Amino acid sequence: MNSTQLEQQDRFARQVTARLAAGTAELPYEVSERLRAARSQALGRRKRVAALHTATAVSGSGAATLTMGNERQSLWNRIASALPILALAAGLIVVYSLENDRRASEVAEVDAALLTDDLPPSAYADPGFIQFLKQSSEE
Amino acid sequence: MATEQELSDFLKSVEKRAFKRSIYHVRDEEAALDIVQDSMMKLAEHYGDKPASELPMLFQRILSNCTLDWFRRQKTRNALFSNMSDFESGNDDGGDFDLLETFALEDGSQQAESAEDATRRAEIFREIESEIQELPARQREAFLMRYWEDMDVAETAAAMGCSEGSVKTHCSRAVQALSKALKAKGIQL
Repeated sequence: MNSTQLEQQDRFARQVTARLAAGTAELPYEVSERLRAARSQALGRRKRVAALHTATAVSGSGAATLTMGNERQSLWNRIASALPILALAAGLIVVYSLENDRRASEVAEVDAALLTDDLPPSAYADPGFIQFLKQSSEE
Repeated sequence: MATEQELSDFLKSVEKRAFKRSIYHVRDEEAALDIVQDSMMKLAEHYGDKPASELPMLFQRILSNCTLDWFRRQKTRNALFSNMSDFESGNDDGGDFDLLETFALEDGSQQAESAEDATRRAEIFREIESEIQELPARQREAFLMRYWEDMDVAETAAAMGCSEGSVKTHCSRAVQALSKALKAKGIQL
């Protein structure tokens, strides 16, 4: 196809589309309204998406502030977050050992009381002595 | 990034043409409106942050895809409900309802009292519309994008997903067919 034919083709096509454009300028009212509603709905959707993006960006920058924005700091952050757990474990160990000591000292006190008493410990194993205690408590 | 005003102006500038183009393809006003609405939503949602200069191209592509999706859905629906539609077509008088014919009548009645040349112009418009509808889908798409949307050959090729050579061929054939058909009806532009 030579350039003259191309020009003719283009000219004809432009004339056709000019007619189309002129005819399309006035659409029925319902159609125009539907299109207007569709447009505003689309713009509303864009606003929501934009708001969502902004929110993500804000929360992202918040995280960056906490982690100071780099990998090394994020390692420190992880160590720091493990600290409460370590503290809890250490506390439990201390409480356990203190409780052990307390129980041991209680037993030791009882033992000491028994050993320093006038009555020898072997008396408590004697059936006659137990009988004597029962009778004396009944009287 | 396109501002909200730019996006709004852009959609306003293309919505009527987009609606008409969809109608030429799907021949159903409701479906065409749905397709345009869908395309607008997708553009705003996924590409609302793109520069304003990229919007026309993106919108054409989205519109083409939405139209294709509609045809796919129709195909599936027709396959699923073919028996039911066979039933319905038996007692449905409006089976061969043609929107453009209805438009043509309405337009005609509105124009009845206006000047003779206005009536003639409206007639030519309807003839052109019906001839455009008669074109094969790809030819129609190429022709409308290239000349109505004023896209260049490369842009049209990109939007249609074909080569520039194909666009030129489609356009040339469409112009020939339209020219022949309009001449046969005695229409001079």
